[in-house]
Amino acid sequence: MENKKVIINIGRQLGSGGHDIGRMLALDFNAQYYDRELMNLAAKESGLSEHFFEQHDERKSFFRSFLHLPNGISTNFDRQGFSQDSFFQFQSEAIRKAADEGSCVFVGRCADYVLRDYQNVVNVFITASMDFRVKQVMSKQNFTSAMQAQHFIEQGEAKRADYYNYYTGKKWGHATSYDLCIDSSILGLVETEKFIAEFIRKRFDL
Amino acid sequence: MQATLELGQKPVGRLLWQYALPAIVAMTASSLYNIIDRAMIGQVVGPEAIAGLGITFPFMNLSAAFGAAVGVGASTCISVKLGQKDYKTAEHLLGNTVTLNLVVGFLFMVACLTFLDPILRFFGASDVTLPYARQFMVVILLGNMVTHMYFGMNAVLRAAGKPRHAMYATLFTVGMNILLVVAFVWWFRWGIRGAALATITSQSLALCWQMWIFSDQRELLHLRRGIYRLKADLVRNIMSIGVSPFLMQTTSCVIVIFMNNQFVHYGGDMAVGAYSIANSMAMVFFMFVMGVTQGMQPIVGYNYGAEKYDRMMRCLWLAISVATFILLVGWALAMLFPHQIARIFTNDPTLLEMSARGIRLDMLVFPIIASQAVITNFFQCIGKVKISIFLSLTRQLFMLLPLAYLLPLLWQLDGVWYAMPMSDFGSFAMTWPLLWWYLKKLKAYGK
Repeated sequence: MENKKVIINIGRQLGSGGHDIGRMLALDFNAQYYDRELMNLAAKESGLSEHFFEQHDERKSFFRSFLHLPNGISTNFDRQGFSQDSFFQFQSEAIRKAADEGSCVFVGRCADYVLRDYQNVVNVFITASMDFRVKQVMSKQNFTSAMQAQHFIEQGEAKRADYYNYYTGKKWGHATSYDLCIDSSILGLVETEKFIAEFIRKRFDL
Repeated sequence: MQATLELGQKPVGRLLWQYALPAIVAMTASSLYNIIDRAMIGQVVGPEAIAGLGITFPFMNLSAAFGAAVGVGASTCISVKLGQKDYKTAEHLLGNTVTLNLVVGFLFMVACLTFLDPILRFFGASDVTLPYARQFMVVILLGNMVTHMYFGMNAVLRAAGKPRHAMYATLFTVGMNILLVVAFVWWFRWGIRGAALATITSQSLALCWQMWIFSDQRELLHLRRGIYRLKADLVRNIMSIGVSPFLMQTTSCVIVIFMNNQFVHYGGDMAVGAYSIANSMAMVFFMFVMGVTQGMQPIVGYNYGAEKYDRMMRCLWLAISVATFILLVGWALAMLFPHQIARIFTNDPTLLEMSARGIRLDMLVFPIIASQAVITNFFQCIGKVKISIFLSLTRQLFMLLPLAYLLPLLWQLDGVWYAMPMSDFGSFAMTWPLLWWYLKKLKAYGK
């Protein structure tokens, strides 16, 4: 079953365990796992530093929109130039390149949109109850209070949604954008992963 | 992406030249057109007309603000979508841009025409200048939809990978405008209305050409049925980017309104005329600097991102040197030949005397503005947008407005003029320490 190429895109709420599930899926399907690794790839392609990509990763702020401004009047003629959108462009190219090479699991970064014309793609969105996510975040990020963790989640998700909606023109987390939406707090991470894997096998007749 | 990679490799000097030249050409062309426009009105129609024209500047800023909100926003979104080869969305964006421009342009026209006189009064028009300002604005406002469309389509042309066509459109408009202004104002004696008509006519012609390009069915991005209906999410994306150019333009609008009112209050209509003459002189040289900073943007931005700090710094110093040199030339001309310069715009002895003095005071410390503008832009390029906004607001808003309010209490009309070099100096004195502080931090980070 490893001969057939599969591309799995995972969108996830913060703290829903999307990363862990992604890693397990990558093992199951003998696929390459990409999340932050994408930034290394994109950095290599573009000659920009990884550090810089980390700053711009899945983020799009109001103040950054001022970057589009060539100070006042726009006469930026040769638009081969360089702006915040170049990051997205570089990352998209890294995603496509990785997808061309073999089976992949992509977590986030609008991969579902970037690879919309590819065959053998399955798009999954993972949610979880707030309690579950707060616990996950607290154990991973060393937060002491649940309030802090919840605040962190809300802020992070607003950024993710902003980024996704802006670049894809779709709604982040909206069921119609995905093939499967699942709440990982019901079955737990391991069982949820098995369920998704089963879905993917059926989908591709593996 | 090949083109982007060269930003990290080619010699910095050559890159700066390559990226700045088109911007400089466009900027200089449009300020040249402004000069000829104002010179025609000043010489043929009279000194009151040039004051009336000065009153309408905030209007032009405001109209440009709405135009830029749609144009910059749409072109940015389109270039993202084209980069993703998402042609369907890009086409819808094109259609939405057309509709939005028409809607916004129309609403702006109706709102302004309805309240034209009160608005002009608020902008500082007197009984003498109001008729001129009104005549000019009625024509400009009637053609407002054309103006918005023209600027919007030009931005889209650039985004669609046709920067050359966009440049030709700009140069054509400027050239046509100059010809028509001479014909309408000097030849046919149509007065200040003729100048407005020249602007609208040349923009209409350019717009026809732009539309012709976009109707070509072989083009990747072309106008067709079914793309014009506004889509909420596309409009939201366009506007979210458009907010920042809109705010910038509105700020300069507020400043001109305030300055005009101060000039009217302390020096009468002639002072407004002198201000607009001095300003157009300063603008010619300042536009050059804007061109240089625009050329600098991608080079500094990329090399900062690639952590090639030596290249980034070389580009910054080069830009500062070139810009300062240009403004030094402008400064020397202003200090040595203020009367001759003012003579281009008017032969009225009162206005001439006032303008010559104004030019000297306005541009008293002109060369230091070069580094201020370049460094402000530098912070923008490296993503320190808040610092950049703060710096550009310092000069225009935080320093100029209070000074222009306080100094005349002591020195009357001269006080209003003094406010300009003083705010220039003040912002200059804030900018350099910030740069030193930042560079020190950068060095520490490098280790």
